[in-house]
Amino acid sequence: MRILVVEDDALVADAIRRGLEKAGYAADRVESAEQATTALEAEAFDLAVVDIGLPGADGLALLQRMRRGGVALPVLILTARDGLADRVSALDLGADDYLVKPFALPELVARCRALIRRSRSSTSAQLAIGDLSLDFSARRVEAAGKEVGLTRREWAVLECLALNVGRVVAKDKLLQAIANWDADIGANAIEVYVSRLRNKLGASVPIRTVRGLGYRLDESTD
Amino acid sequence: MNRPTDAGTSSVSRRLLGLLLLPLALLLGVGLFIDYRSGAATIEGAYDRVLRETAMAVAAHLRDADGDGHIDADLPPQAIALLRSDSQDSIYYAVRTASGSLVSGDADLLFAAPPEGETRFVDTTFRGAPIRVAAYATPVGRTTVAIAVAETLHKRERALQRILVSIVFTDLVQLIGTLALVWIGVRYGVRPLRALGGQIAQRSAHDLAPLQAALVPAEVRPLVHALNALFETVREAARAQQQFIADAAHQLRTPLTGIIAQLELLDREPMPAELHARLHALHEGCVRLAHTANQLLALARSERTATTREDFARVDLEQLAMDVVAQNLDRSLAAGIDLGVEATRSHVMGSEWLLRELLGNLVDNALAYTPRGGRITVRSGGGAGSAWLEVEDDGPGIPVEHRVQVRERFVRLPGSPGNGCGLGLAIVDEIARGHEAVFALENGADSRGLRARVIFPAA
Repeated sequence: MRILVVEDDALVADAIRRGLEKAGYAADRVESAEQATTALEAEAFDLAVVDIGLPGADGLALLQRMRRGGVALPVLILTARDGLADRVSALDLGADDYLVKPFALPELVARCRALIRRSRSSTSAQLAIGDLSLDFSARRVEAAGKEVGLTRREWAVLECLALNVGRVVAKDKLLQAIANWDADIGANAIEVYVSRLRNKLGASVPIRTVRGLGYRLDESTD
Repeated sequence: MNRPTDAGTSSVSRRLLGLLLLPLALLLGVGLFIDYRSGAATIEGAYDRVLRETAMAVAAHLRDADGDGHIDADLPPQAIALLRSDSQDSIYYAVRTASGSLVSGDADLLFAAPPEGETRFVDTTFRGAPIRVAAYATPVGRTTVAIAVAETLHKRERALQRILVSIVFTDLVQLIGTLALVWIGVRYGVRPLRALGGQIAQRSAHDLAPLQAALVPAEVRPLVHALNALFETVREAARAQQQFIADAAHQLRTPLTGIIAQLELLDREPMPAELHARLHALHEGCVRLAHTANQLLALARSERTATTREDFARVDLEQLAMDVVAQNLDRSLAAGIDLGVEATRSHVMGSEWLLRELLGNLVDNALAYTPRGGRITVRSGGGAGSAWLEVEDDGPGIPVEHRVQVRERFVRLPGSPGNGCGLGLAIVDEIARGHEAVFALENGADSRGLRARVIFPAA
């Protein structure tokens, strides 16, 4: 996996590069939007981490140019400015995620991993989350190398959670996912399926309950 | 918004009335005097004419029958009774020859004879009362006779009184009418000013949109233009401040990000335990510094002078509550705290970024103070026009006596845990004020913990 880091600050860029390399990614660092364009033309990347505050053309301009040029590469935008305007314009311009400085390195690595996985899951039928490995075409789940038998509804819940790993999935959304099989399902049913999933999958990949919101499948990060 | 009371300030209508009252009263006084004088002259003239005609009527009854200078008064008792008949005044008369001997009438009515053919009027007293005497001299036969007719002054005085009363009455009506017209006119005239005042009073403290000059009269337009120029200056200053804060944020955060990330990397390198401990302390210090820098920037951005109503938009509080809870989930999991949300659909007009900052700070505060195993609930709701946000925890709460003090900047209560900088609730307070919302700190459920509530005004 190869990640392009577009960051002009040497200290930050070095830390990001090292952090990503420690997590098992190859990272290339460039200092400006122009260098990034050249690098993107020359090499294939799985993800770009782009700082907004670049000298010359800024990160948003780079993002815009990439999207207009049909580059579908997932982009994580970094910014030192808060406020809504940057976030909104970044997401509007086609950024996949957004992180405000100062951030913790593990947070950045986790976001990068999630973005890469998401872009892969749309093209691949396989997904690995921690000890868990899912095969979407065969609807098979393995936990720590052992196959786990799931009912159709349990699978539907897990699929929905796994595709949104690290993010809270609203109960309503899970209900919609299983409503395909049975229109007559109460909100409490979700709790039952989640509880069964927890029992079957073990503690290695925790499913968190977020009171009032829904559930979140977590990957035990470093 | 503080508004000074109107007491002691000048009002245009009151000033105008005050200025007009004295000259108007003087003018009316002079008018009254002149009217009275001319009215009195008319009355005197009318009564004098009657008196003179009476004297002439008496003269018509005088004869020098014998031609010897002995005058006969052909005045039968009925004629004399008619002459003296008056409902209000006593009438006297006397007829004397040139030699002064009384021909007829009241012997004690003395008078100076005027030249022949003339009538002379004299004010004098008779039998203790003031009288008006008309003296008339006329030739009768070969001699000249003087006739005096006099009357007391009751009729005249009463007539003068009546005329005085009527003049004073009409003049007073005029004065009051004039003042009333002035008052009404001024009120009508300053109506555009009141409308302008209303326009300014209705807007919030942050509404810096220009006032509409077309609505006010030409005299007030310079004031409106000056106000609009002031608004523009304030807006410009706010914009400059925002730009400065944005630049400062960038310049502070980028190196801090680098330092913290580098320390995190170093921490994974093999090294003696003692170095690890120092590295941890260093990392913690940097994180605290970053937090304080963030909070300072947030406070600066939330300052009411730095935000204007133009930045406001419709904010979904339900979505906001869910987002903030999702964002803080990792921290709550690490701290062993059950963080949840109970949100119902509600909206406010506000700055989404600032409201996110507000709710984030309340949750941050609750996470810092709630012990492991505790419970924090973020709520949003609304009804009948007013919406609210709420964060309730079952931590130690804030004693009632400190609930005002904790909103001040850099105030931390003794025994506060963690690495807070004492700005969180100050930021919440500032943002709430900027949205004209009420920020209340109350006991949580069952009198435990803290319930921080932000109630927005009806939209």
